[in-house]
Amino acid sequence: MDKNFYSIFKTFFKVGTMLLGGGYVILPLLTSELVEKKKWITSDELCEYYALGAALPGIIAANTAIFTGRKLLGTRGAIAAVTGMILPAFISIIILAYLFSAIVSIPTVQHIFWGVGVGVIVLLFMAVKEMWTKSVTDKFTLIIYLASLIATLSGKIPLPLIIIASIIIGILWQQYEDKKKSKEEL
Amino acid sequence: MGLYIQLFWQFFQIGIFSFGGGYATMPFLYEIASKFHWYSTSELTNMLAISSITPGPVGVNVATFAGFNSGGILGSLLATTAVVLPSFIIVTIVSKTLEKFKTNRMVKGAVRSIKPAGCALLTSVGIKLIFTSNLHLFGTILLVALISTSFIKKLDPLFYLGISAIAGLIIGYLNWIGV
Repeated sequence: MDKNFYSIFKTFFKVGTMLLGGGYVILPLLTSELVEKKKWITSDELCEYYALGAALPGIIAANTAIFTGRKLLGTRGAIAAVTGMILPAFISIIILAYLFSAIVSIPTVQHIFWGVGVGVIVLLFMAVKEMWTKSVTDKFTLIIYLASLIATLSGKIPLPLIIIASIIIGILWQQYEDKKKSKEEL
Repeated sequence: MGLYIQLFWQFFQIGIFSFGGGYATMPFLYEIASKFHWYSTSELTNMLAISSITPGPVGVNVATFAGFNSGGILGSLLATTAVVLPSFIIVTIVSKTLEKFKTNRMVKGAVRSIKPAGCALLTSVGIKLIFTSNLHLFGTILLVALISTSFIKKLDPLFYLGISAIAGLIIGYLNWIGV
């Protein structure tokens, strides 16, 4: 199928509409639409865009859409892809925001949301567990984890500062390790 | 005018500093809730639950909601644009230097260290939510039961939301929420 602004927008709009339950299903969805149906990119390319999208800051779905859109049609493609991807979210939340204010004072609704609030904490800790197994792999990463946790819980240090500090420490530590390694090899 | 600039700036920062996708935006969204009162922390947990059953990424959903709550349609447009704009800039730069980016030692060091930091930020949101959610006795029991089952066998997120919604209905009906 032709790769133009509208067809890219339409394809990503479709993926954005089916993107339920927070991001995890995006890779199979994109594979089915972009690799299998449209044959716009290969499965390897898509996996690379997704991995890069996950390593960079921001929303993974948006990052992946921008990478893919750029590959298909440059900056115009990127705009088409990311707009298509987030428009379904935007529309559904605007509609819900209207509905929400109308029903939120009903006691039964409040009870449901109180319960769901507990469920959300469970989901958060499930995400923490998954991130933990992927990120805390040695003493260095454990120290970064604990230091960041204490800094965040203290509530006195702005979050961006914690992220920037961890970036700087990570770069310095990597250089230290690389130097140590090259000395050992000598 | 000041509100719109502030909305844009706060969500732009989320786009720059949240690493790890999906829930990684939560620590920043939580902090915004306590600083600006565009939405409350309980509205934020509601939003996270709603995000699981509506299309789209959580970060976009909450940006739209917060923007709408504080600045109407224009506010929601601004906040949503702001949260994806950094992605646009960063991806463009990275695409142009892709091969160098993948093998760069500095990038490797940064990524390795950002991941545990992002995980720590999310942990602290979880801890803060436990203490601010008015769980009381039955909420605590529900939380411990669900977390324990999630450690034994990981089920679909919707399962946990569904069970906790039903539990909320029953506990609320019996008037046990404040117990």
